[in-house]
Amino acid sequence: TTDDIGLILTVVCHMLSGTSPPGKPVLLSCRSPEKETFTCWWEPGSDGGLPTTYRLYYERERLEGVHECPDYWSAGSNSCFFNKTHTLIWVDYYLTVVASNALGNATSDIFKMDVMEIMKPNVPENVTLLVVETEDSPYLHIRWEHPRNTDTESGWVTIKYELRIKQEKNNKWKEYMSGTQSHFSLYSIAPGGVYTVQVRCKLDHGSWSEWTNSTNVKVPNYVQNERSFWILVATLSAIPFMAAMCILIVKRENVKQCVLPPVPGPKIRGVDFHLLMSGQSEDSTNALIINQNFPLIVGWKDQMEEYLIVTENDIGPPSDASHCQKRKKSLIIPAGFCSDWEIQCKSTHIQNDCAGGTKNETGNFPKNNKSLSGESLSYMEPSKLQKQQCLGQNFVNTEATDPSPLNYDNAVKPFTNSGYVDIRKHVENTQEVNVKQVDYSRVEDVNGDNVFILNNKNLAFNSSGYMDFQRQEEKLSEDYSRVKEVGSNNVVVLQIQDMSADTKNPHATGAHKMGVCTELINSEYIDTIPAPPLM
Amino acid sequence: MLLIWCAVLILACLELSTRVGTAPICSYGQAGCHTPSLADIFDRVIQQSSRMHGISSDLHSEFEQYFFPSKNLIGKPKCHTHGIVTPADKENAQRLGREQLTEVILRLLGAWGDPLLQLYRSMSQDQNQDFNHYSSNKALEISDMVHELRDGVAKMAEKMKLSGVLGNTVGYISPEGLVPSSSFSFYKHGELNSMDHHDLLYCFRRDSNKIKNYLQILKCTTLPGLDC
Repeated sequence: TTDDIGLILTVVCHMLSGTSPPGKPVLLSCRSPEKETFTCWWEPGSDGGLPTTYRLYYERERLEGVHECPDYWSAGSNSCFFNKTHTLIWVDYYLTVVASNALGNATSDIFKMDVMEIMKPNVPENVTLLVVETEDSPYLHIRWEHPRNTDTESGWVTIKYELRIKQEKNNKWKEYMSGTQSHFSLYSIAPGGVYTVQVRCKLDHGSWSEWTNSTNVKVPNYVQNERSFWILVATLSAIPFMAAMCILIVKRENVKQCVLPPVPGPKIRGVDFHLLMSGQSEDSTNALIINQNFPLIVGWKDQMEEYLIVTENDIGPPSDASHCQKRKKSLIIPAGFCSDWEIQCKSTHIQNDCAGGTKNETGNFPKNNKSLSGESLSYMEPSKLQKQQCLGQNFVNTEATDPSPLNYDNAVKPFTNSGYVDIRKHVENTQEVNVKQVDYSRVEDVNGDNVFILNNKNLAFNSSGYMDFQRQEEKLSEDYSRVKEVGSNNVVVLQIQDMSADTKNPHATGAHKMGVCTELINSEYIDTIPAPPLM
Repeated sequence: MLLIWCAVLILACLELSTRVGTAPICSYGQAGCHTPSLADIFDRVIQQSSRMHGISSDLHSEFEQYFFPSKNLIGKPKCHTHGIVTPADKENAQRLGREQLTEVILRLLGAWGDPLLQLYRSMSQDQNQDFNHYSSNKALEISDMVHELRDGVAKMAEKMKLSGVLGNTVGYISPEGLVPSSSFSFYKHGELNSMDHHDLLYCFRRDSNKIKNYLQILKCTTLPGLDC
């Protein structure tokens, strides 16, 4: 028919010119700022190249018929504004937008809404900040007003506020709820700080509004009279405190004597303590003198810890005192225990810092007159302690290098330390093997924890880090134990005379006596049993 | 020993002297009771209604999320309380006056007591495991709240009548008189299905919002103050 032909021609004509019916518009959202009016916005589709008009139609619960939007302009383009007369709460609206141009129409999907659900208020107004200065501390008082056009007096809406505050330096906001109040106080503000505040609100159970623009305030610096007073007081009271500390530190020895009295030293089995103290009896002194003929006595194996000082030169009494009073163990070192070795040792459990002690190399032991605390039987004639080196991290050697002579002159000091053998020799020559033809073993190295690597018969041991030690030639004596072999970890196998004692002790440290079966006890010392002298 | 006795005695004395007594709140005005003020009652009632609306809102959105992900355009739910004329905007609400407003509130509350109980029963017995335990507990909670709120608003009305702010036209309204039985039986036809659940939640969400709003208007017209 002609109508159809006409239509087809129109369509073809328009298609050729690139125009088309409009695209489908989309209803975006609706919003009610005060629960009395609301606005809806849509997004147009393509207009098809032709002028397109948009119309919004709605149906409503409890209202017959389809109605058109009452106001397309108040809220801007592509919007529809419903004023108070057209707005009902708690009823459903069904909205559609129809786009039409010369070529056709397009209808959006139905948008269902209830004003109760679309509430989002305007921003609060007139945010003001005020720094209130009180005697104790200033605080910040923040006020604002309810958003525009919102009725807060009838109870129709309940506005709740929220604010957030940021200090100039931080970038983090701290949020606070203010309920229905339109003011807020922030306490404990920093003088000199700059604070930024923003406020927002919501109606009933609706959505939050946008944040207001930032408002800033600077808190003036306050004269901190009170604080300076307290600073002065603190400084003044610090002076006597410092003085007291200094005195304590300077006199720490005395303090120590007071506070931490020395622990009694070990007792020697079979020796009369009093005899020793008297220092007169030849027998007792003979029994204790370390000489080359001296039969070694069994070391006391309990908490006593033997501290062996091994030095290179035999010079008089050790200058340093191993009078360390924090003893973990002290082991009696028998008299015959002089060794010319300088052994550097590491103790696994070196907890205290008593170290130091020298061993007399001349073999010439003093008649022991005094022992410290009366019970110690460590009879090393101390030589001058030159230097102590101990490998290993555990070893703390504070006392050793700091000799403070105790009240003895040639007496042996009880040594405390868990099996610490002070070795004075250079550790540097770790790679050299001592090739002296001697029948003593040198400690090549103390490896890791408590390993004596002895160079037996000048054999090179392939352990890491040899330590060269020196001894005096003439001091070679049969007081030494020969190391038969060195085990892998912390094992020193000593050869005693004609017997070999395999000793395995993972924590063997300490010196060993010559010609004595060494038994490695516990973790720190080597106990020796008497053996016939090797002369 | 003596010292201990002394300490015990002192402590006992202190305890007796500083005992804090609680003042019972009684709603019937018995002698010696501390009756809450009208403002207090208003606050409590508004708080309760706010909470009730919140819970029902949660339930509804849970339901919508799981059962009707797309915006439900299928049916226009018909609420059984549609027979109760309620003001739908501010002017009408203010124009209504306190007495009528109170009456509307009471009618709404009365109309929801039984349906909510039914909803709870149906949800907790749900064969399809549509609702979890948490949701059905919420339903029980709002069911209880409706009953409490109804008593609370009734007491509030009494108090208002006593203080003269409310006329005597508000009488006790029986539940049956509030809601026409025909629409109430809407829900009584046996078990409730999912659609019924949804409709009930949808309608109650709306009605609880109305109740809350009307109470607030009532408060602010009766006791204008800071919170309004």
